This record gives sequence, structure tokens and C-alpha cells, in this order.
Amino acid sequence: MKRKSTVIVAVLAAVALGAAACGSDSDGGSNAGGGSDGYELAFVQGVAGDAFYITMECGIKEEAAKQGATVTVQGAQKFDPTLQTPVLQSVIASKPDAILIAPTDVAAMQQPIAQAKAQGIKIVLVDTTLNDPSVAVSAISSDNSAGGKAAFEAIQKLAPNGGKVLGVGVQPGISTTDARDKGFADAAKADSKFTYLGVQYSQNDPAKAASIVSAALQKDPDIVGIFASNLFSAQGSATGIRQAGKQGQVNVVGFDAGPEQIKALQDGTVQALIAQQPGDIGVQGVQQAVKALKGEANEANIQTGSTIITKDTIDSPEGKAAAYKASC
Amino acid sequence: MSATQTTPTVATEDAPASRLSRISRLQALQILILLVVTIAVFTALRPDTFLTGFNIRGIVQNTAIYAVLGVGMTFVIITGGIDLSVGSVLVFSGVVADKVMVWYGGQGWATVLVGLVAALASGLAWGLVNGVLVAKAKVPPLVVTLGSLSAALGFAQIITKGLDLRDAPQALVNDIGFGNIVGQVPTIAVVAAVVVVFGIVLLHRTRFGLYTYAIGSNAEAGRRSGVKVERHLIKVYAFAGLLAGFAGLLNLGFFQSTTIGGQSNTPLNVIAGVAIGGTSLFGGIGSVFGTVIGLFIPIVLQNGFIQVGVQPFWQQVVVGAVLVAVVYVDQLRRAAALRGTSPRLPFLSRAGGAGSASRKGSA
Repeated sequence: MKRKSTVIVAVLAAVALGAAACGSDSDGGSNAGGGSDGYELAFVQGVAGDAFYITMECGIKEEAAKQGATVTVQGAQKFDPTLQTPVLQSVIASKPDAILIAPTDVAAMQQPIAQAKAQGIKIVLVDTTLNDPSVAVSAISSDNSAGGKAAFEAIQKLAPNGGKVLGVGVQPGISTTDARDKGFADAAKADSKFTYLGVQYSQNDPAKAASIVSAALQKDPDIVGIFASNLFSAQGSATGIRQAGKQGQVNVVGFDAGPEQIKALQDGTVQALIAQQPGDIGVQGVQQAVKALKGEANEANIQTGSTIITKDTIDSPEGKAAAYKASC
Repeated sequence: MSATQTTPTVATEDAPASRLSRISRLQALQILILLVVTIAVFTALRPDTFLTGFNIRGIVQNTAIYAVLGVGMTFVIITGGIDLSVGSVLVFSGVVADKVMVWYGGQGWATVLVGLVAALASGLAWGLVNGVLVAKAKVPPLVVTLGSLSAALGFAQIITKGLDLRDAPQALVNDIGFGNIVGQVPTIAVVAAVVVVFGIVLLHRTRFGLYTYAIGSNAEAGRRSGVKVERHLIKVYAFAGLLAGFAGLLNLGFFQSTTIGGQSNTPLNVIAGVAIGGTSLFGGIGSVFGTVIGLFIPIVLQNGFIQVGVQPFWQQVVVGAVLVAVVYVDQLRRAAALRGTSPRLPFLSRAGGAGSASRKGSA
């Protein structure tokens, strides 16, 4: 009995050690080279395992390799400031030269990121931003308002006779999706043929987006267009439309172009996608971080563009280039 | 204290009960050793970053709110119950406190005090609802608190229309949320430590704590020896609610936001900490100290893995495995203790005092 529990404790310790040791192998080189001119960068994703952030990660790694810098990538399991704060804090403690971060809340992440700056770490905000972005040397994001407007233009083309349109957002307080929703709302309100039904929030949960959309279709069976302002909202919206049996009548315009959305576009459950340029955001993020570390001047605000992908353009070279990657 | 004066019914239960409580203390000690080993491993792997003031401060800050919730959860689980609603009650209390503080106005301590009263009252109200439904209406605690998990979050969203509120007064954010009491000792951690010490005293040194154990070991025996079981259960759930309300105010200070969408995993993380800390989910056994250590382990593991550079998804796997493994080892030892074999671990065998006492108990 005694022996058994001792063995188990020993195995536990060994597993912990082993896991830790594996991890340290993979970036063992970075520490050795860290002293000279190879900068150590850290990328804190908005959420782990999302094609948007993976594509950004690819851009970051590519550019970092060019610049001779090393990158570690970390992200929380959900797009959530209460989960991102401890991740960021641990990253700060590992003392990288610069952190590229996609803050998950404009207010809640302000103090934690300010702590990083106080430790002498250069901050670059990628994609999302903060109430007071001056803690960062640079903030790089898609022009989200223009992206929202583009989404409405896509609906105008798909439903030229007009009708009711609905927004399915993530949650209030995220700078990027707020801007997309607003861009879409402003464009929809400006066109008298369309009735804007407002925006519902999915909390980044596909199941919730599905139930929102099927409930909305109960109330307004004649909806012609839905703008789902991020990945999971679009996935859920497509499911909700299928639940209500309204395929063909309701046009879904998704934001982002992950592998699932490209598939959904091919299958015809989503009619258009607004693709951002996460890879480009990543590349420019690294460039700005390295500039700041070398003491060169930064561009405080950089905006990247977006591309409308439809079934017709999906196989064109531009369409293929705009699609996000599932791995580097 | 009161145990010595109670009826013979309790006295006959005294020997095994005290042995079980000794085991739970042992469990807490073993968990502490696991924590120390974990810290030692990460310190060896990242000597210049892991055991730094900044990092320790961060780990302690990130554990503080969970610790406050964990104290209440430990009491509830010792009674054999569960409280899944703590995350939602935290959000609800934060929302009410935020609204009340905006209504009162100002950025100073008076505003914080008003917010504190509002947060405690909201938490207490939900705790009472849970307690009455569990104790009087006899609805299983899992169902009651699953219901209040949903309802409290729903009310919070009704009040806010789903939009996070961000009106925490400056005193709350700068002095409690991110402030230091002295040097680099974060205020939020000291506040949590006070709650923890209060919980330890309440559980191990008062009649309230004794009754809590008694209900969890055998509610019927407790009732026959004069414990007002229903009333005590209501008090325990009310206490857990009160602490969730308090945590709501701390959360508002730390995140400057009511984090409406962000607390769905909180109850599960807290329950995991309680379980790792050696509190039996069947009730009757447990300690607040163990819970605090149990809450530190996943947070230290996550912190260390991030610094070492382990892929994020593996962190979840390891934390899950540790949870199950630790509780399994605990279970083995408890089964052995019930069979009468010594529950001691080899590395503790020299501490003869406890060992001989337990042998006397089993004789």
C-alpha cells in the first residue's frame, strides 16, 4: 500500500518533469542565442486554436525568422480576459523583449498590459486594441469598420430587393467586432431598402449563435441577410439557418475565412466571407516590435485591408491567398 | 471545544472521525509537497524568471479570487453538497455593486464601501435562495445551483443588457485590484488571505465548523445529536453566497469589468481546487488549507508551462490528469485507512506522534 502511493506520486512527478522537459527542448536554442542580437518575442493570442490567430502566428514566425528573432506563442482556451490575464502575466514573467498581444477586452486588459510595459517590455497590439493604446509602441488591426461595410455590400449584391438584416456579434467590448458591427449597422441603416434588426451576441459560442438565429427566424421569417462578425458566430448562424430550414432564403456573410468557413462557402451554407489579412498583421507586428527594440521610430496605428470572397472568387488565386491557414 | 460536551452518540463517532480528519490533514500536507516539487521543478528549468517577485506576485494575484470562492465551496462540499452557481453569483454581485456605486457616485473609499455592502447583500441573497431550496425544498444541490447558475447570470444580463459594466471606482482598481499593501505584497492577496484564515478558524475551531462536518459525515446522526440540520445547511449555502458576492467586488477591482461572459468555468476550477486539496466530494472530510493549495497547483502549472513554452492545449491535459491522479491517490489512502492499515506515507513515518495515535484509535 505504502509502496503503491509512493510509486504514483513518483510517476506524477516524473510526468510533470517530462512534460516540462519536452517543452524546454523545443525552445532550448532561444535561450542560448538570446543574449546577442536575436530578440525574444512572445505572441499572446486572443484564443488558442483559431485559424485567424494561427495565420497571424505564421506571419509572425516567418517575419521573425527573417529578422533573426525567436517567438513563443501562448493563448487561453477561450476569448476571455479572465483567462488571458494569467497567461499574459506568465509570459511577462518569462521576460521576453517584446510582446505581441491581441487583447480580449478594451478595459480589462489595460492594467495587465501596462504591467508588461512597466517591466520594460515593448508592446505591440495586434488585431484588437485597448481603451488607451498608448501603452503599446504600435497597434495594428484590420480596418474593421470598412470590413463591416463590405459585409453589407455583399448582402446588397446577394439580395438586391432589400429586406430584413440581422447582426450576430461576439460580445460587446471587443474593439474589432464592435467596429465591424457598427460599420455594418451604419451601412444597413443608410440603405432604405433594408431594415436593420440590431445585433445579438453569441458570446463566441457556436451553439448560442445557432439558437439566436433560429429564434430570430421564428420571429422574423423573412430575414434576407445575416452578418456574423466572427468565426464561431458564422458557424453557429449557418447551423441555425439549417435548423429553421431556411437555406437559400437567408444569405449569411461571415467575417474571417478559416478552413471551416471556406468549406461552408463551398457548400453554400455561407454566401460570402470578408477575409482579413491576419498574416500581414503578424508580419507588420514583428516589424514594429523589432523597430521599437532597435530604438527606431514606430507607426502608432496601422490598418490592414480586407477581401470579399464569394463562391465565384473562391478558387481564384486572390481567393486562395485570402483564405486562412490551419497550420503553418 | 463543544465536542467534549456533546452526547455519547457523537463520542462513539469521535475516534474514526478524528482519524479521517487526520488523513485529510495528511492529504493537505501531501498536496503541499506536490506544490513545492512543482515549484522546484519550474525554478530549476527557468531559474532567472520563475521564482521572481513579479511572478510570485502574479500567481498569488491570480489565485486570490478563486481562494475566496474556494473557502465557501469547501464548506458546501464538506456538507456533501455542491455549489455550481458561484461564478454567476460573482458576476451578478459585481453588476449590482457596479450599478450601486455609479448611483452613489465618487471614486473614493466611501463608494467602495457602498459597493461592498451591495455585493455582499446580492451574494447573500443568492446563497439564501440556494440554501432554502436545498435544505427545505429538498431539491438536490446540483440541480438547485445549476438553476441559480443560469438564473443569476440571466439577471445580470437583464440588468446590463448583456454589456459588461466598467465603472469600478479608482480606489477599488488602484488600491485593491492592483495595489500593494506594503512593498510588492498585493492587497487583493492579503484580503483573500484574511478570508482564508477566517475560513480555517470557522471550520476547525468553532461549533459552526463542527456542525458542517457532522452534516457531511452523517446528517441523520447530526440531527439526532441536536444539530438543526436544515438551518445549518441554509447558513452554509448563505456563507458560500456571501463570499461569492465579496469575490464579485474583488473581480470588479481586478478586471475593471463585470466579466459577464468570462466566469463559466469558474465553479469547475474552484471545485477542482477543492478536490485536489483533499476535500471529499461525498462530504464529511476536508480542509480550507488544502483547498488553497489545491487552487495554487493548476495556476502554478499553467504559469510554469507558459514560461517553459509548452503548447497551450497540453496545459489543460496535464491539469486534468493531475486532478484525477491526486484524488485517486487520496482515495487509495482513505480506503486503506478504513481497512485499518496505516495511512502514513513513507516519508512521514518518522513523525511518530501522529502514527502511534492513529494506531491507538484503530485498536
